[in-house]
Amino acid sequence: MKDVGVIFRREMGAYFHSPIAYIFIVVFLFLTSGFYTNGFFLAGVADMRDFFGTLPLYLLFFIPALTMRLWAEDQRLGTFELLMTLPMKPWHIVLGKYLAGLAFYAIALACTFTIPISLMWIGHPDLGAIACGYFGSLLLGGLFLAIGIFVSGLFRDQIAAFILTLLACAFFVLAGTQFFVAILDGWVDGLGSFLSSAFAVNLRFEGIERGVIGLDDVLFFLSFSIVFLVLNTLSLEGRKY
Amino acid sequence: MIEVQGVSKSYGITKALDQVSFSVDRNRVLGFLGPNGAGKSTAMKIITTYLSPDEGTVKIEGQDVTADPLAARRRIGYLPEAAPLYDDMRVRDYLEFVAQARGLTGDDLSRRLDWVHDRTHVRSVLYKKVNELSKGYRQRVGLAQALVHNPDVLILDEPTSGLDPRQIIGIRNLIRELAETKTVIFSSHILAEISAVTDRIVIINGGKIVADGHAEDLRGRAMRENRYRVQFSQDGAAAADALRAIAGVSSVEADPEIANTWLVKSPLATDLRRPVNELARSHGWDLLELAPQRPTLEEAFIELTAGRAH
Repeated sequence: MKDVGVIFRREMGAYFHSPIAYIFIVVFLFLTSGFYTNGFFLAGVADMRDFFGTLPLYLLFFIPALTMRLWAEDQRLGTFELLMTLPMKPWHIVLGKYLAGLAFYAIALACTFTIPISLMWIGHPDLGAIACGYFGSLLLGGLFLAIGIFVSGLFRDQIAAFILTLLACAFFVLAGTQFFVAILDGWVDGLGSFLSSAFAVNLRFEGIERGVIGLDDVLFFLSFSIVFLVLNTLSLEGRKY
Repeated sequence: MIEVQGVSKSYGITKALDQVSFSVDRNRVLGFLGPNGAGKSTAMKIITTYLSPDEGTVKIEGQDVTADPLAARRRIGYLPEAAPLYDDMRVRDYLEFVAQARGLTGDDLSRRLDWVHDRTHVRSVLYKKVNELSKGYRQRVGLAQALVHNPDVLILDEPTSGLDPRQIIGIRNLIRELAETKTVIFSSHILAEISAVTDRIVIINGGKIVADGHAEDLRGRAMRENRYRVQFSQDGAAAADALRAIAGVSSVEADPEIANTWLVKSPLATDLRRPVNELARSHGWDLLELAPQRPTLEEAFIELTAGRAH
């Protein structure tokens, strides 16, 4: 697992060597916290339901921006060939890159801890529910990151990787909306309901951020994340042939 | 020792390599020569395990690289074409990353980094970002990353591409020096580059090996006719006519730069040395020069690759 650490450090360095990391964190904080505080003062309730409620929508744009370069940049620079001829198992490289993306996202998420700290100062928020919300946010972001790294491995062009990751993540969010289910059920009886039960992330995320952590929900996020990481590894190994 | 046996590789319907076989003995340099698109890089990517062959085997010291690619990669230092590097990193950090990725730690790591900093002359740019480097320095950093783990085998794809003459000589000297303890395969599409470093040359064209041998062998193999340079003391057309009259002479051309000098050609089976001597003696001319001419390496390369290009 030492290899995973080497790749992790290289990727974390890549995030912070460029201004993108700092821009990402500032914009992420500005949008998530800014819109949240607006609603918070109107509602006057010391909780973070609004924050977590809108988070999946923001992540649809932020996570693809984070993952689009993970492999596409290596392919553009030619360093892909360097990585694939290092004495490392491909899944170690995939895991190192993924964990770096996850750590960076966790740092951005941790920067929003100012919100619960402020809530504790001015009221009596349910800290258990807030902790569950952050846990769910990490699981949701982890899944989107796994989708993003897989898609990034398929493209040399970062914009293409961004758009396709956004669409793929949007599918997982839309699958849980009544609108989407109704339309698809109208086309093929039961299709929308099936996709909703199989892929809808927002329904499962809503459960967790309310403070109810179901094992099936956690397994859902973890297993889908693993599936996309395995697909990424297989697609890299398949390029040899 | 590197052994490449019957290796073929196709990209879709394009056959990039077709039954390629060659070997390199331990601590030898092999120059891999061919025009652009001939299959040199594909062969190197297969040796380094970046690609899998459709058929055939590659062995390093008897070990099949496809059976245990990680073990093969530990023994190989690889400089891909155009020396890809992470632009956002400082040179020092980049080389440290590659060294760690290759398993070096502690004192070993520091010692090897010191060694490559000195030997590839990158010490003066250690704290520069890679995207600020000149082409020459990029190439040197690429070479440094290939050497950092002290590999037994070095695979260098166009290592002198884009360098100025002084840098080229520096890289050539380094390759020659490294070859004392390592097995080296390096490619170029420029013959002078190869022949300046090694006389063992494999020429590849259209995905096939068209020649494999020492420079002199290749020149001999490219000979399609005998050519002699002849200089008499006798001036004028009489000597040319007399040369043309010798049985077996296929052509006689005057050398435009040196007086009384002709380039005389004959089929391979016809040795003209004795008839030309007799001609001089019978006419009472002084024979100042009678020198068999072998094709230059450039001519040999053109001859051996003619008509086989994509």
